[in-house]
Amino acid sequence: MINLNINVNNKDFEISIEEDKRLIDLLRDDLKLTGVKEGCSEGECGACSVILDGKLVNSCLIMAFQINNSKILTIEGLGQGDDLNYIQKAFIEVGAVQCGYCTPGMILAAKAILDANQNPSRDEIREGISGNLCRCTGYEKIVDAVELAGRYLNGSEIYR
Amino acid sequence: MIKRGKGIAISYYGTGYGNGYPDVSNTKIKLNKEGKVEIFVGGTEVGQGAKTVFLQIAAETLNTSIDDIILFSEDTSIMPDAGTAAASRQTYNTGNAIKKACEELSIKLKLIAKEILNLNTTEGLIVSNSSIYLSFYEEKKVSFLDIAKYLGENLLIIESNFIAQTVEMDLETGQGAPYWPYTFSACEVEVEVNTLTGVVNILSAKFAQDTGKAVNPNMIEGQMDGGFCMGLGFSLFEDLNIINGRIKNDKLSKYLIPTSMDTVDIEKIIIEDPEFTGPYGAKGIGEPVTIPVAPAILNAIYDAINVRITDLPATPDKIVMAIKKDSKAEDKNGKID
Amino acid sequence: MDLKYIGNSINRVDAYSKVTGKALYPQDLYYENMAFGKTLRSEHPFAKIKIDTSEAELIPGVLKIFTHKDIPNNEHGVLHKDQQIFCDKIVRRIGDPIAFVVAESEKICEVAIKKIKVEYDILEPIFDPIEAMKDDSIKIHGNSNILYHYKLRRGDALKALEDSYFVANNTYRTHSVDQAFLQPEAGIGYVDDDNKVTVVVATQYPHYDREEIAYCLNIPMESVRVLNTNVGGAFGGREDITLQVHLALAAKTLNRVVKCVYSREESFLAHSKRHAIIMKYSTGVDKDGFLTAIKAEIIGDTGAYASWGDNVMRKAGVHATGPYEVKNVMIDSYAVYTNNPYAGAMRGFGATQVAVAYEQQMDIIASELKISPVEIRLKNILRVGSYTATGQLLNNSVPLEQCLKSISE
Repeated sequence: MINLNINVNNKDFEISIEEDKRLIDLLRDDLKLTGVKEGCSEGECGACSVILDGKLVNSCLIMAFQINNSKILTIEGLGQGDDLNYIQKAFIEVGAVQCGYCTPGMILAAKAILDANQNPSRDEIREGISGNLCRCTGYEKIVDAVELAGRYLNGSEIYR
Repeated sequence: MIKRGKGIAISYYGTGYGNGYPDVSNTKIKLNKEGKVEIFVGGTEVGQGAKTVFLQIAAETLNTSIDDIILFSEDTSIMPDAGTAAASRQTYNTGNAIKKACEELSIKLKLIAKEILNLNTTEGLIVSNSSIYLSFYEEKKVSFLDIAKYLGENLLIIESNFIAQTVEMDLETGQGAPYWPYTFSACEVEVEVNTLTGVVNILSAKFAQDTGKAVNPNMIEGQMDGGFCMGLGFSLFEDLNIINGRIKNDKLSKYLIPTSMDTVDIEKIIIEDPEFTGPYGAKGIGEPVTIPVAPAILNAIYDAINVRITDLPATPDKIVMAIKKDSKAEDKNGKID
Repeated sequence: MDLKYIGNSINRVDAYSKVTGKALYPQDLYYENMAFGKTLRSEHPFAKIKIDTSEAELIPGVLKIFTHKDIPNNEHGVLHKDQQIFCDKIVRRIGDPIAFVVAESEKICEVAIKKIKVEYDILEPIFDPIEAMKDDSIKIHGNSNILYHYKLRRGDALKALEDSYFVANNTYRTHSVDQAFLQPEAGIGYVDDDNKVTVVVATQYPHYDREEIAYCLNIPMESVRVLNTNVGGAFGGREDITLQVHLALAAKTLNRVVKCVYSREESFLAHSKRHAIIMKYSTGVDKDGFLTAIKAEIIGDTGAYASWGDNVMRKAGVHATGPYEVKNVMIDSYAVYTNNPYAGAMRGFGATQVAVAYEQQMDIIASELKISPVEIRLKNILRVGSYTATGQLLNNSVPLEQCLKSISE
């Protein structure tokens, strides 16, 4: 067993884990953050995307012991209740959600794009979400949503 | 060399199980004690938007806000069977069942309103925003909640169903009316083909989809985007690579589905031509939106390189090989300029 | 008609739960004292089998290993009950379920699965549907590998082809693809407080699942409850039974909550595929560009089990002419058993594959007649008042010309 100090969604945790535990299992099985989805277990689909110390990663490819003293953001840490994050709001308004399984990872990928650039082009958005597979939407409305979220963020569109 | 080409394809699709097989959607509607309408229906939300469409149809029929209607579609112990979420049948079949049930509920509600309001007839009564009133004398008004209170423990429950018309075909001639309604689609794609590598890129696409009547245009656009993308993967690279019965590409790193980089923004055209038998004229579009994509792409590839790919998927190696074979054939015929 | 809610692009009612991560899929459910289940699947496409679970059963933490001996009614299938919940004597494809191990943890399941001994007596498999159709082929089920044959006859196609100005003769092949929905199959089985065998699953058709569970467990339908969670895409791939009956059986027998989650690889093995189809077409046209006849032989590889094979190949046959008026039609569409992965429903259901053939044929004809692809189609498309090849009158809502013109102008 290994002891870990981590911060998940702005909460500190001290957890003891098995050495062979993946980050995705720590988040889902132990912390019950089931917004982190598993789709392929090999880093191809991005459904398990989380933001680790500011970077978008596939939590199925990272071992839990590697993340001691790290800060992790999952979809549950973004916006809850009536207080939705601007990206979540944009995804709803634009209609970028269908079956919803890719959605949490996709929204975090969008956050990673917008954290780096508040005014991304459509091509930059397409590149930024290219590690996140979606089988339902054909991506176009997801690109629309990230664009809209960018406008909310840079103030060119009023966020209600 | 990079060569460009355009291709079109059109298609049709008959909704439902077909061939006389009973195609039934059942629904149950209840006015609960809080005066809200509860809909119980077994139609599944698979991501296509069924829940939203069901509620829109109910809201329209009851002329009442979606927020005042509650949908239960997850538990077989409380909801009636509405058939499978397949064959592009939920909007048409289950939508019709819900519309029918809501119409019956309206009639019942008006009869009770007549009683409560002490009227001679239900003529002139209007259902609107969870209440019923007399259109030319609005003082005569009763809310769904008032009706629920009036009914007390005798909850108002309506059970209804819709059975799609389908006629079994003759065994020898195949003549009959297996499906109804038919839904139509058209797609145009522009591609560029690298003749050295065989790689095909989609440059632009247009898609026109007959919807009968679009219940939720934005969600229909979402279906068109997704259907295009699935057709693109089917025609260009998705391949299970089954060898001696074994799926060789059994991971998403080998079974490649389109990423955001493989597809483009699509010009989407929603065509409306209400179908007599559809709920508010609506038809199912879940499957039709993918059907013309592959042939449109293949026709565009031909337009670009004059080589026809008849064996899917049109992978780069297959395209390069087809170009080589074609140029050899042309050499013999002395046609090369 | 003045409509208020119809035609209005309201936000999806399930969007909020999906953007916040609150939307639950079966793999997201956790219960106290939950057991896990894992499926042992066939390694060979066609073989007689003998199963020995004795060694695996001794592994600490293994609760029970379910096989054909444990299921009251072992057969299932959406159209024909030709699949087994657990193969007893014979496997017909790679991936056929043989046993379901239930243990205290997923890891113990994995260890136990490796300890189950399956003796395979290999049979000669058939992978080519054309070979499989022959009279002297080895039979996968019953007396013939031809599961279904749909015949469509209208007018005299052979004579009309002979009299045609030009006939395009080509063979097209589409391949087997996967629905590849993002959420792999998962489920939970338990017995609820009302003593109902409950299966929580993501399915396209909960009432069908309930019916199969009740039949296979030989209990009344009222004793079974299916709870459909959010469904992470389906596209036809969640119509057949995969883990539903395994979970119901385990939960009922052990009176425990049992969870099962498929990996992506197992998901590929478990559900149906799009039919690979060979389509031999002859399309005739007169010198003015009007279609004279279509003759097609359409052979669909339905793999080891029927699933929706009859209906898929029927839909392929009915749609084989494309959306055109054709007076002379001769279609033969077949669903054929092979030892390939079983094919069933996938978006378009046979109608997707035939479009690959009939729409390339139209372009070939247009180019021969030196007219545009749009023109050849406008000459022949279905309109209000047209009859389909099955003799069906299209009496309203046929906006095909509008569709075609709006993409080409």
